[in-house]
Amino acid sequence: MSLDKTLKKLSVRSPWLFRINAGSCNGCDVELATTACIPRYDVERFGCRYCGSPRHADVVLITGPLTTKVRDRVLRVWHEIPNPKITVAVGICPISGGVFREGYSIEGPIDRYLPVDVNVPGCPPRPQAILEGVVLARSIWLKKLGLEE
Amino acid sequence: MAGFLKVLLRNVLEGPSTDPFPLGKTFTPERLRGRARVDPELCMGCGICRNSCTAGAINITPLDDGSGYTITIWQNSCCLCASCRHYCPTGAMSITNDWHSAHPEEEKFNRLERHTIKYEPCAGCGTLIRPVPASLARRLYAATPEIDPEKIRRLCPQCRRQEDASRNAGVISPTTTETVAARELTSAAPTTY
Repeated sequence: MSLDKTLKKLSVRSPWLFRINAGSCNGCDVELATTACIPRYDVERFGCRYCGSPRHADVVLITGPLTTKVRDRVLRVWHEIPNPKITVAVGICPISGGVFREGYSIEGPIDRYLPVDVNVPGCPPRPQAILEGVVLARSIWLKKLGLEE
Repeated sequence: MAGFLKVLLRNVLEGPSTDPFPLGKTFTPERLRGRARVDPELCMGCGICRNSCTAGAINITPLDDGSGYTITIWQNSCCLCASCRHYCPTGAMSITNDWHSAHPEEEKFNRLERHTIKYEPCAGCGTLIRPVPASLARRLYAATPEIDPEKIRRLCPQCRRQEDASRNAGVISPTTTETVAARELTSAAPTTY
């Protein structure tokens, strides 16, 4: 193992989560809060913490269909997250527009603007599905760092 | 103090309440709404699911040569409301409790439930029709034992009407209308639930 890789492996932290609400109905946000705050699901077991600043984040969870009003703000916050970052679309709205698709104020689906890595569809997805998505995001993140095949 | 000890003892005995998932097994309620399924045996292609789908996840496209249709459900647009299941007249739509929905972006458009259903020729005239599902036909004609559901379900509406007319030719008087109610009709009676 090269020195570079060893250092990378030593410096790898737990993936911290950041949540962006792109005009969501808050259903998925409630499930995200459930995933983190209720001991039954407890996403913090995997070292995943919700952080308050986008600059500390590794995995970004986006909910909502990306409304016109929040589009530029979402993009600004998203670009503040340091690379390599993993974008997880939570719920059907950011993935396909869901029930809001083709609405007058809907700019989504979100992959028109951002590269998405993991999708977790559902309306809302259950906490276990979100956990599955976060674990999948973590493995993709490690792949991006070159630490896992 | 004693109350606290009770809680402590219970926690020690019962262990943590954290679900071991994804490292272990989790629970799945029987009636959880997950992936939508369509049974190609029962689907008639009537389109009520497409019309009632809140999220526009269902698409029904006729084949180019008119020999059938394709029904597609895009799971990434399905909002799990189950109104397709509620309104489906034949019971072809169902919502399974499979909630494993997380997938990488590359598989986004692969999460489809798609069936191509071919029409069959009418037993009477050969026009391409979708036969009524056997279970539905049995239920529809349950009140009229004179009608063979297995035979009538393969007839097009026109042939069904002719079949009905020929069966009732001797029963209904063509000149008077008053005696009709008194005689026994053997066309399909409305099903009561």
